[in-house]
Amino acid sequence: MFAIEMLFAFALFTLGVYGVSSSRDFLRIFFSLEMLLNAVIMMLATTAHYLGMTQNIVLAYMVMILATLEAAAGLLIFAAANKIAKVLSPDEFKGEEHA
Amino acid sequence: MNIALLSAVLLLAVGSLVIKKSVPAIISFILMMFILGLYYINLDAKMLGLFQIFIYTGGIMVLMLFGITIIGVEFPKAKAKPFNATVAFLLFVSISALFLRGIDTLTIALKQPVEDVNLFSGEFSDFVIIFTLIASSLLYATVKMSSTLKAKKTRIKNV
Repeated sequence: MFAIEMLFAFALFTLGVYGVSSSRDFLRIFFSLEMLLNAVIMMLATTAHYLGMTQNIVLAYMVMILATLEAAAGLLIFAAANKIAKVLSPDEFKGEEHA
Repeated sequence: MNIALLSAVLLLAVGSLVIKKSVPAIISFILMMFILGLYYINLDAKMLGLFQIFIYTGGIMVLMLFGITIIGVEFPKAKAKPFNATVAFLLFVSISALFLRGIDTLTIALKQPVEDVNLFSGEFSDFVIIFTLIASSLLYATVKMSSTLKAKKTRIKNV
């Protein structure tokens, strides 16, 4: 059971890696980053439950706080880039001609 | 029960990356986070699950949904990238193989549960410092990014 749940966490992590490497817009990259962090939280929670490593729960809280901050920062950057430079892709976000 | 929850999590995660419209994609992502919270509650990590559901899903993700609804964006068309998919699959296979190879060591640990009574008195404070540094850097980057964008807008207006 523990191994299967960890494999699910690895699958979520891999999905996040694929999303970050293949996406070309802010929102999907943001989703993928959240998936990566959630996969890590999932691994920490699973190991805490099955292996009795209670300190992992505290680490999971800290990663979750970091992910929450990252979500707020990501939303702000996305909204600002969309409003000011009118771009959806980080690749386009470099020249003044887009503003 | 856990397997069903995790299968739903994976399906919704794939959905949030595949769905072309932004609002359904965010809703799929929010559902994924909610089910992850249920999974944590099912693992007896009730506080973590409630934190995930109320703060992460309920606060941040719904804020994100609200913002995107106001901005009203559609995803740009992206080409399929089979090379990236292959690399991601190979990554999954290699991580899983490494994990399954070393699972015996973890099973030994399972028989002797670790209870760290001096959780916050030892080296754990290093982690706190590192995470605080990362979080403050993230906040600084956000403020810097917004001020750069504002400066850029003013410069364009002046030109």
